[in-house]
Formats: sequence, C-alpha cells, structure tokens
Amino acid sequence: MKSLLRTFVSVAILLGVWQLVYIVGIVPEKYFPSVLSLLAAFWQMLMSGELAKGELMTFSRAALGLSAASLLGVTLAILADLYPVFGRGFRYISDVLQPIPPAAVVPMAVFSLGLGIKLYAFVIILVTVWPAYMNGVAALSSVSPVQLAAGRSLGCSRLELLRHIKLPAAMPEIFTGIRYAATIALIAVIVSEMLAGRDGLGFMIFKKAFANRTPEVFALMFVVAINGVALNALVNGLRWLVTGWHIRMMERTE
Amino acid sequence: MKRTDVLGLSVPLVALILWQAMALLKHSPLFPGPFEVALAIGSHFREIAGQLGYTLMRAAIGFAIAVASMVPLGIFLGRFHKIGRLLEPVIDMLATLPPPAVVPLVMLFTGTGDAAKIVVIAYAAAVPLLMNTYEASYSVHPMMNRVARSLQLGKFETMLHVDLPASLPMIATGARLALASSLLVSITSEMLLSTNGIGVFLQRSQEYFSIDAGLAGIAFISLTGLIINALMFKLEKRWLYWHYREAA
Repeated sequence: MKSLLRTFVSVAILLGVWQLVYIVGIVPEKYFPSVLSLLAAFWQMLMSGELAKGELMTFSRAALGLSAASLLGVTLAILADLYPVFGRGFRYISDVLQPIPPAAVVPMAVFSLGLGIKLYAFVIILVTVWPAYMNGVAALSSVSPVQLAAGRSLGCSRLELLRHIKLPAAMPEIFTGIRYAATIALIAVIVSEMLAGRDGLGFMIFKKAFANRTPEVFALMFVVAINGVALNALVNGLRWLVTGWHIRMMERTE
Repeated sequence: MKRTDVLGLSVPLVALILWQAMALLKHSPLFPGPFEVALAIGSHFREIAGQLGYTLMRAAIGFAIAVASMVPLGIFLGRFHKIGRLLEPVIDMLATLPPPAVVPLVMLFTGTGDAAKIVVIAYAAAVPLLMNTYEASYSVHPMMNRVARSLQLGKFETMLHVDLPASLPMIATGARLALASSLLVSITSEMLLSTNGIGVFLQRSQEYFSIDAGLAGIAFISLTGLIINALMFKLEKRWLYWHYREAA
C-alpha cells in the first residue's frame, strides 16, 4: 500500500516536471508535447483499436518467446549438469553467441526464416536463453553437498536427486536469470519489429516517429515501459508459485 | 587444458558440422555454411575492422558519459535516501524501457548523426549503472556511517571517501552490464539510423544478399564482446583485489 502511494507520488512528480518543461518552453513544442496532448494521443490510439492490436502482438511475442527460451535454457542447464562434457562444450558456444545483439541477427535471418513468427521465435530465443541457462548451470553445480548426501543416503538415484533436490534448490537463482531475460526479451521483440516488422509496438513507434507525430511516440514509449513492468510482474508471480517456500523462508530470517 | 576441456570441443565441432551439412543441403547463397563465412572473414577483414572502429568509439563515448553522470547521481541518491526513494519508481520504469524504443524519440531531437547514437548509448548504459550505484550506496554498512560521523566528515566527504569506495564492487558489476549494453545499443542504433559502423555494414550485406559477409561481421562483434568481457574481468580483479580478498 505504501509503495503504491510512493509510485503514485513519483509519477505525479514526473508528470509535473514534464508539464513544467513544456510551459517554460525550453524544448520546442513540436518535440515536447504537453501531458494533455500526450493523453489525447493515447486515448485516440486506444479508441481506434490500433493500440490494443499492437500491444497484444508485442506482449504475446515477448511472453511466449521468454517462456520458450526459459524452458530451453533450463533443459540445457540440466543436460549440462548431467553430462559435464556437454556442459563444457556448450560453454564454447554460449561464449560466442552471447555477445551478439538481436538487431544484428534480424537482417541475416530474414531470408531463411521470413518475416513471420519463425523470425521472432529465433531472434528472441537466441538472445534470451542465456540468463536462465547460465544461472541454472551455476546453481545446479553449487547445491550444498550436505543436501546431496542426505538425498543419497535416502537412496535417491541420480535423476531423483536432480528432480527432488537439485532443481528445487536451483529454482530461485534460475528465476533471477529469467527476470533479467524478461527485459532482454522485450528489447528483442521491439528491435525485431522495428527492423523487420509489419505490426506491433516497435513498428508503430517507428512509423509514428517518421510521420513526426511526437505525442504518439511518447505515448507509445510509456506503453512499452508499462509492458516491461507487466512482464516483470508475470515473472514475479510465477516465481512466487514455484519458489514461494524460498521467498517465505528468506523473509522469516530477516 | 583439462580432459573435459578437450572433449568439450566436440560439441561446437558437431554444431559446425551440422551447420555445414545444412548449408550443403540448402545449397543457397542465402544460407552460407561456416566455410563460406570463414572465406568472407578473409575477404572483408579490412572493411569490417574499419567499421567496427566507429561502432566502438561511439560505444566508448556513450559509456564514459554514463559513468561520469550516473555514478555521482547514484551515490547522491543513496546518501539522500528520501529523494532516492521518491525517484525509485521512475528509475524502475526507465529500466524496463528498452533502449531501442528511445531511438525514434532521440532522432526527433538530435537527428541521425553521432550525437543521436551517443545519447541512446548513454541512456542504455545509464540504467544499470544508476541502479547498481544507488543500491550499493544506500546499503552501505551502518557502521561505516558511524565511523564517518565520528571522524566528523561532511556529507560530501562521506560520499567521496566512504560511499564511493564501498560501492565500487557493485558499480563494477553495473559497469560490466552497461558496457555490454553500450556495444549492443551502439550496433542497434546504427542499424536504425544508418551512417557508418558495423551495424550499417550488416544492413548493406543484407541489401546485397551477401549473408556470408554479414555473418562474418557478426563473428567480429562476438569476438569483440568476448575480448571486452575478459578485459573487464581482469581489470576488476586487479583494482578490486581487496574486495575479492575479503570475500574469499
């Protein structure tokens, strides 16, 4: 409740400063619309339905891509944990692929994958698997030896050990990685839409900017930022479902 | 090298062979295999290196601006925590706004030249730097505050001699993230606002249907990223040895 109030106050301050800059007129009005015209642009896009359509496109792409990438990342991490040679070998690949920006992949992949769902899936997964994978590998290999020994003395097989001890212990750290990946997923979607898209928020921002419709550009940027918050909330909710025991434990010790 | 290191090499090797096999099957210049890409690296080496220079220069300038402005701001907000708490939601919201989404807006203000790209890079680098510095500066151990007070340090001196050094390890983590994203955004901004740089080289390769050259460019980007990351790690180990010594 208190944090809600704080958010409210700081958003109010932000809007106040915004309006003040507009009134003082340091920046030409063409580039810096008033809060009112911003809201008007938002309302108009909302009413015409284009906002809802773009929003649905962008958010579903980001959410689906993130889930697929996270599942793949965890699977790879489990494989790496079961087969150390694979883990070491895959690190060569991840070292090389990780620094590649999503924007660079888009133009090269367009010819093989087209402009549709395949392109988005490829780009998003290529750049978002790493946090879940990296954190997964690190967490799976650092499970406390005492817990493992306890499992073994209860007669767990290697797979049971993984299923009942290692994976639950690693989940909190994996989710930290997924939370970071959520931001990257949104970036990847927006960039792909800007470079190769025919719809979605990224495409809309670019179109409006070239048409010099500043209020719409600002309004869309706010929407994109809210998308980030929503995606974060989604991941947090899942994290609570999966690793709620860990969060409650952490809170009790504080 | 250990035994797993050598055996592990088989994984990328298998991946390369699969890639080459797929390329042979497709038999299209739009899907080059690793062999063609290696040839393209040889023939485009000069051009790629030159364009990469522009990209790195802009990334470095943007990063430097972000460090120079965000580290002091983060320390300040951490020390004057009331102001910091008020701005927290705004920072959180900015953190979720992807840098490429800012590009069109910056374009309206500053055109499509170097300035626009540097602004976007600085924005991208600013977010992790500010968040980490702020977080570190405000969670400085209370004992240090008491020491500062009993030494009768002023607010400014406390920030300079206590908060800053205590925050350095977390600032370094933020800087590593920021550096990675400045390189990333530097390339992205070139692709969206083309003039020169490796991003433009990639766009041109697509327009000329020479995907092999484009992949060669990507290989250089990945190599650069690897080198920068390794360098950062080394510097961190050297400058923050006291932190690692304590942690060990």
